[in-house]
Order: sequence, then C-alpha cells, then structure tokens
Amino acid sequence: MKDSISGFCHRLLGYSEFGALIGFVVVFLVFYALSPSQFLTIESLAAILTKSAVLGIIAIGMCFLMISGEFDLSVGSTCAVSAMCFALLMSKMGIHPAIALLIALLISGGIGFANSVITLKGGIPSFIATLGMMWFLRGVLLAITGGRTVEYWGRSTLLLVLNGRIGHFRTSSIWLIVLVIIFAIILGRTRYGNWVYATGGSRETTKVMGVNADRVKRINFVLTGLLAGFAGCVYFGRFKFVDPTLGLGWELEAIAAAVIGGTLLTGGRGSVIGACIGALLVGMISHGLILAGAPAYWYQAFIGLILIVAAIINMQIQKRGFI
Amino acid sequence: MTDKFVKMEGICKSFGRVQALRGVDCTVYQNEVLGLLGDNGAGKSTLIKILVGIYPPDKGGIYLNGEKIRFSSNREARASGIETVYQDLALIGLMSISRNFFLGREPTRGIGPLKLLDRRGMAHVCKECLADIGIEIRSPDECVSCLSGGERQSIAIGRAVHFGAKLLILDEPTAALSVKESAKVLEYVREAKRRGLSVIFISHNIHHVYSVADRFTILDRGSNVGDFTREEVTPDELIDTISTGKKA
Repeated sequence: MKDSISGFCHRLLGYSEFGALIGFVVVFLVFYALSPSQFLTIESLAAILTKSAVLGIIAIGMCFLMISGEFDLSVGSTCAVSAMCFALLMSKMGIHPAIALLIALLISGGIGFANSVITLKGGIPSFIATLGMMWFLRGVLLAITGGRTVEYWGRSTLLLVLNGRIGHFRTSSIWLIVLVIIFAIILGRTRYGNWVYATGGSRETTKVMGVNADRVKRINFVLTGLLAGFAGCVYFGRFKFVDPTLGLGWELEAIAAAVIGGTLLTGGRGSVIGACIGALLVGMISHGLILAGAPAYWYQAFIGLILIVAAIINMQIQKRGFI
Repeated sequence: MTDKFVKMEGICKSFGRVQALRGVDCTVYQNEVLGLLGDNGAGKSTLIKILVGIYPPDKGGIYLNGEKIRFSSNREARASGIETVYQDLALIGLMSISRNFFLGREPTRGIGPLKLLDRRGMAHVCKECLADIGIEIRSPDECVSCLSGGERQSIAIGRAVHFGAKLLILDEPTAALSVKESAKVLEYVREAKRRGLSVIFISHNIHHVYSVADRFTILDRGSNVGDFTREEVTPDELIDTISTGKKA
C-alpha cells in the first residue's frame, strides 16, 4: 500500500506540468480569497482566457524550441511585424484579409528560418542571434512606421474567426485550446516529438542515433516564428489596430510561461500543456490583481516571484531524477 | 570463425600534418570478439570512425563480406548492421529507457500522415528484449539519469542486439565502471557473441578485453604492431607490446 502511494507520488512529480498546476491552484485560491464574489465568474474566466490566449500561442512555439535546446528572444518583435504586415496589407493596399494573413505568416516563418540560419550556420548561441533579431526587427518597424499606429476599419469574417466575440469569450481561446491539443500530441506522441526531446537532451547522441538534430532545431525555429506571427494577427483581430511597440517584453513572458510550465532552460524537458498553464497563470495574475484593486505595477513583481519559485520547484524535481 | 566479416586494408588518414593512421590493417571474422588495443593516440578511435563513415579514409579499402564499401555516414553503417556504442553518447539522460531504446527508429501506429508513437508497444518490446538478453530493468518508463553507467552501457548493447546489429563496436565500455558492473557488461558482450554477433572491443583495460576477446589487434602511433589470437599470448605480453610499441 505504501509502495503504491509513493509510486503514485513519483508518477505525479514525474509530470513536467506538476509545478505549474500547483502554482495555478495556489494563485487561484489567493485571488479567490481576495475577491470572492468577482473572481469565480464566467466573465472573469473569459477575461483570463482572453488575456492568456495570445501569450499561450507564443509559448507553445517557445516551449518546442526550448526543449530542443534553443531560445527565441525575437518573438515579441515577430508578433509586431506580423500584425503590422497584416494591418498594412489590408488597410493600405486593400489586399484580401486571408491573403494578408498568409503573407504575414510567411514573413513570420521566414524570420524563424533566418534565426535558425544565423544560429546554426553562424555557430553563435541563439540567445545572441535572436536578441539581435529582436532589436533589428523592432528598429525597422519603428523606422518604417515612424512610430505611428495602423488601423483597419473594414469588416472581415476572418478577424471574427481570429479573435471575435462568443458571449463573454473570444475565439482566441478556442485557437489556444486547439493549438495546445495539436502540439501536445505532436510533442508527446509522435516520432518528431521524441526527436525534439532528444535534440535538447544531447545533440551529439541524437546525431549518433541517426536523427538530424539540426533539422529538428530549424523546424522548431520556423514553428516558433509562425506561432508568434499567428499570435500577432490574433491580437490584431481583437483591437483592429496595431502600434509598432506591440509585443514589447512578450518574449520574456513566453519564456516565463514555458519555464513555469516545467520547461528546462537547458533543454530536454518540458511540456506544451505546462507552458499553456504557465500562460494562463500569467493571465490570471494580471486579471486577479485588477479585480483586487491593486495597482498594475504589482503585476510584474508577482510574475517575477512565481517564475523564481516555479523554476526552483522544477529544478528540485529534476534533481531527484523524475521525468 | 572462418569468414572475414569486415576487413580494413592499408588505411591511411592524416589530419593536417598529423598522420593518425599509416596503413593499418584490421580484420574481424564472423562471430568473433576482436580486442582493439593501443595507448592513447594510437589511432583506435580514428580507425573506428573511418569504418562507420564519420571520416573518409585518405587511402585504403574497407570490405564487408568481401565486398568493397564506403559508408558516408553513421546511418549507412547502421543500416548495414554495424552499430557503435559510445562511452558517453550511449543514451540521453533526460529521456525514459524506452524512448531512448527506440530513438530514431520509433514504431508508430495510425493512418496516413497521422502516425502516433506506439508507446505501449515500445515499453513492452523494450522490456522484453532487454530481459531476453539478461538485462533487468525496473521499468521502461524510468529516466535514464537514474541509471548507473553499467546499466546504460548494457541497455545500449541490448538495443544494438535487438535492432539486428551484426557487428557491435564498443568504445571503452568498461571505463569508469565498478568491478561488479564491468563484469556484467562483459557478460553481455559474451551474450552478444553467443547470438552470433561480431564485436570490436576497444579498451585500455587488458584484463577486461582478455576475458572476452578471441583475438587482439594492437596499434601504436598509427601502425599495426601486433595481431594475436588469445591462445598465442598472455595478458602481460599484450601489455608489453602496447607499452613498448615494438612488434612481437
């Protein structure tokens, strides 16, 4: 009996998402205690999901890339570039929204591909490569737009599909859920997923076993760019305007979401569902503080605290040899 | 022990000005354990890397069952049944035993492009195969980082046997292992031989090699300095040849 209990605990700790889930429950209870009548309502749940959806979509790609042992600091800028392209193509050039979306996604995937070439062919750490890309894209964006916002006044079903209202909820939440399910299956249940873990676990061993580890990284860079670009367009679907500072700091929030969700900075371990819980946690903190009437500044302090605690818990779990 | 399985003839290889191999011959017969010996820098690893296609040789020929071949990658060598188990690169610590076991050769189930890992099958086959060779694991879902060095080597050997390797190359398989663990790993080498495999066993530990090998090839600074069957030589004579580098 004792064995089965310890076995159960062992299995439970073995899930990458465990730390994030505990954090989620704790933060949930804290906010529930702070504003019991408002926090546990449909409106509130919908608001949390809406706040988290864009970040969650970015975090999925970041999670894949981090598990395979690389970073992408340019996702915030990629979001802005993609949303700006989407907006400009529709409003200034009158291109059909679907085609504009396609072009925006192509550009985002291209940015991811460029990151992979710089990192893998240039032989420099992705941290530096994508930090450079982050500033480069942001600078170009600010220079071209002159810092002005771009709006789109037209009506389009595509924008409703991307981020329209359904009651209190928005379609962005559905996108998040669908993408999380698809990518959780790819990561956990397919050969490619196995290669992603292996690449981050040991690039050399993966190569010796006949898997092209660099190709895995390249695909993940492109995937991260694509999802960041898609997130930018989803964001635009809600507000219908974009300013060139969109997504500032989102790269760090996405990394935080992935780390809170059990992804190792050094690669080889992590989970898409964990990253999604991490993103929801970030959304919940932002919303809960507003409900509790706390000044918005507390948001960053809270996220910082949770990130550190989550990282320590995850490290302890890993040290004890759970997978 | 009659047929030549792999024959390497007059292999030369230079890296810049350094001549790593100066016309080395090396033959492995069917179902034979060959001890490949030599001090550091003798060229053992280079020879193996040329055999499995990581480096191209400058000169010389490689024959598999009498047929001239040249692998351009590790993958091609593996497809021909030549499997290498590296000391540090055997398994990935953060992954489970069964995921490591099938890495690069994962079985899937499903239709068309929607193919999912056959996880139950992976766990089952992995446990069965290892048990069949005599390797007991607690659970195929266990993380490799929990295993000892000997257990990792054992699993890597079991994996090679399962995937139909005909020639197993072991690079220092007992380095950094305890006495008990080394004995176990050596037992798996014997088991591999009983199953009809050929083995190239690279080691510094003469006593480990001597207890399993049928024949010894000794290299010194890129040249052959000795080729003995086990009956012809004592461990002390082997040590002598390695340290003096003189042809016996």
